[in-house]
Amino acid sequence: MADITFEGVTKIFADNIRAVDDLSLHVADGEFMVLVGPSGCGKTTALRMLAGLEDITSGSLSIGGTVVNNVLPKDRDVAMVFQNYALYPHMTVAQNMGFALKIRGYSKSEIAKKVSEAAAILHLSEYLERRPRALSGGQRQRVAMGRAIVRSPQAFLMDEPLSNLDAQLRVEMRLEIARIQRLLGVATVYVTHDQIEAMTMGDRVAVMRGGKLQQCDTPQDLYDHPHNEFVAGFMGSPPMNLLRARLDATNGPSIEFGTQRVAIPTSYSSSHTLPSGDGPGVIFGIRPEDVQVVEAGDHAGTLTTKVERREALGAEILVHLSLVNAAGTSTLVVDDDGAVVTRPTTMVAKMGPRSGVAVGDHLRVRFNPDRFHFFDAAGGDSLRKS
Amino acid sequence: MTKIATTLERSDSTSNSLGPVKKPKRVGRWILFAVMMVVAVIMLYPFWVMIVTSLKSEAQFLAGSGFSWLSWSRLTSVIPIGQEVLSSTIVCSASIFVIVLVGLPAGFAFSKLRFRMSTVIFLLIVSAMMVPLQAILMTEFVNITRLHLTGGYLGAILVYASLGTPFSVFLFTTYFRGVPDELVEAGIVDGLGYFGALWRLVVPIAVPAIATVTVLQFIQIWDDLLVGLFFIQNTSQRPITVGLAVLAAGRTTSIPELMAGSIISALPAMVVYLGFQRYLVKGLTMGIDR
Repeated sequence: MADITFEGVTKIFADNIRAVDDLSLHVADGEFMVLVGPSGCGKTTALRMLAGLEDITSGSLSIGGTVVNNVLPKDRDVAMVFQNYALYPHMTVAQNMGFALKIRGYSKSEIAKKVSEAAAILHLSEYLERRPRALSGGQRQRVAMGRAIVRSPQAFLMDEPLSNLDAQLRVEMRLEIARIQRLLGVATVYVTHDQIEAMTMGDRVAVMRGGKLQQCDTPQDLYDHPHNEFVAGFMGSPPMNLLRARLDATNGPSIEFGTQRVAIPTSYSSSHTLPSGDGPGVIFGIRPEDVQVVEAGDHAGTLTTKVERREALGAEILVHLSLVNAAGTSTLVVDDDGAVVTRPTTMVAKMGPRSGVAVGDHLRVRFNPDRFHFFDAAGGDSLRKS
Repeated sequence: MTKIATTLERSDSTSNSLGPVKKPKRVGRWILFAVMMVVAVIMLYPFWVMIVTSLKSEAQFLAGSGFSWLSWSRLTSVIPIGQEVLSSTIVCSASIFVIVLVGLPAGFAFSKLRFRMSTVIFLLIVSAMMVPLQAILMTEFVNITRLHLTGGYLGAILVYASLGTPFSVFLFTTYFRGVPDELVEAGIVDGLGYFGALWRLVVPIAVPAIATVTVLQFIQIWDDLLVGLFFIQNTSQRPITVGLAVLAAGRTTSIPELMAGSIISALPAMVVYLGFQRYLVKGLTMGIDR
C-alpha cells in the first residue's frame, strides 16, 4: 500500500490539446479520492496517466514515493477497474480474477486461495466457473472489482465503474465499493462525472474543469465552502443558486436584486472580502435548501417571487422561482460541458411534499442568513477569507 | 369436436382477415425460393456432371451410358494424385500460417497502437489487395528465381503469403477495431506486454476473423494454378491443380479420369468451407453493426 502524488502533472495531446494542466494532488495511503468533473475535464486522462496508459508531458507522478513517469504499467503495481469492466470474455470468472497472478508466476494453489478469498468478499463464490457473458451487469462489476483486489495492489484506480449500471444497482454498488475499499485500506482514485457518487463515496473529492483542479476537499467542505462559482454550481443536486446581483451600502450592506434587496448580516464583513464602492457587482450564492418560503407574518428581509415550474420528487418539491422586479439580475448555471453560462433569473427552492404551491403563485422567500455565499463577479472565485 | 371446429373456424377467419396483407409477402418468398432453386441447380449441375462422368470408363463416357470405377482406379497410375494432394496441402498450410502470423500482429498494431504514418502505411498495404497476381507474376518470378527458390515449395509459399497478407491485415485490423481498447489496457495493467495482450487476450476472441482468413485464402491458394505452375518446377512436388492441368494437356485426355481428379481436387476446399462457414459469415460481417 502506498500514497500517490501528482506534482504539476500536465498532459498535452496532439493538436496541442491540454487535457490535464499542472495538476498537483496528494492521495494519502488508504484514502478514497474521487476525481469529479464534467466531460472532457481531464479526470480520466489523469487516471490513465496514473495507470501508465498515457505518457506524462511534464510534471512528476509518484506512487509510494517512487516517481513512476517512466515505469511500465505492469511494474506500477496498480489495479484498474474500467467503465465497461473489460472482463476477458474467453475466461471464466475465476480465470479472470486470477489472470494477473498467473502472469506474475503465482502457483495454482496460491491463485485459487486468493481468488476464493476475493470471491467470498464480493459474494461471487458460486459464479467462479461462469463466463462473463453469463453474468448480470452487477456481477460483472463485482468480477472487475475482484480482478483488482486479488492482486493486493498499491492502489486501486476506478474509471466510472458504475456508469453502466441501472440506478438502483448503482446505489448498491456504491456502498459495496466503499465498504471494500475501507476493508482493504488501499489508496483509491475513483473517477466519476456523478457528483452524488463523489459526495457519498470519497474521503476527499477533487473537482476538475478544463484540465485544472478547481478544489480538493472533504465532501462536506466542498459543499459548504466552494472555492469558486463552478464548484458551487457543479456540486449539489440541485446545485447552488448563483445570482448575479449588486451590493448596496446605503442602509447597511445589502444585496440588490432589481428593486428588491436582502440585508447582509454584519458577520460577512469580517469573514468575506466584499467589494466596496458604489454598487459593485457580485455573484450571490444560496443553496436550494436555504431558500425558505415565508408563509405569513413578518415579511421583513423577504423577496417576492413567482412560481415558474414545480417538480414533485415525492419526498420534496423543487420549485423554480423567478424574482419579481429583478431587472439587471441574472442567474449563472454550469452546463453539461462545465461552462458557466448566464440564464434569466430563476432559482430553485426545496419545499415539503405537501406544499400546495402551484405555477403562477407569488411566494415570499427568505434566504438563510447563515448560509450566504459570495463570489467575485469577474473571476468567479469565492470572496470568503481563507 | 366442437372445440376443434371452433378453433379451425377462428384460424380460418384470422387467415382471411390477414390474407390481403400476407399474400404479397408469401408470393415474394416463393419467387425468391424459385430463383434460389434455379441458382442452386446452375451451381450444382457441374458437380453432378463431374460425379456422373467420373463413374464411367472412357468407352462408357463416349457411349453416354454405363457405370464403372475404372477412371478412379486408373487415376493413381496416371498422375501421383496422393503426392499432389500432399503438396497442395503443404503449400496451402504454410502460406496460410505465414499470412495469419503476419496479419495478426499487423492488424493489432494498426487498430490498437498509435504511431506516426500508421494510416498511410495501412492504406499502402491494403492497396496491394487491388494488384492482380498476373500483373506482378513475371517480376515475382524473376525475384524468386534470383533467390533460387523456384524448385520446391518455398518460392510458391512466399508468393502466396505476400499476395494474401494485405487481405489478412485488412480483415484483422477491421476486426480488432471492434475489440474494446479497455480489454487490451486491462491486460497491460494486469502485467502483459503488447504481444502478450495480442496472443493471450485478443487472438482467443478473434477466431471468426482467423477462420475467415483461413477459409478464403485456402480456397484461393488450393484452386490456384498459375503460381504452382511457375514456382514449383520440381515435378515431384507439384500441386494438384498443376497435376490436373498436366492430365488435361496430355496427348489424349480421358475425361472421366480428369473428372475424378477434379473431384479429389475440389473436395478439400469444400470441406474447409463447410467446416468454417459458421465463422465465415461472422467474420465477413464484422464491423457492420457498429
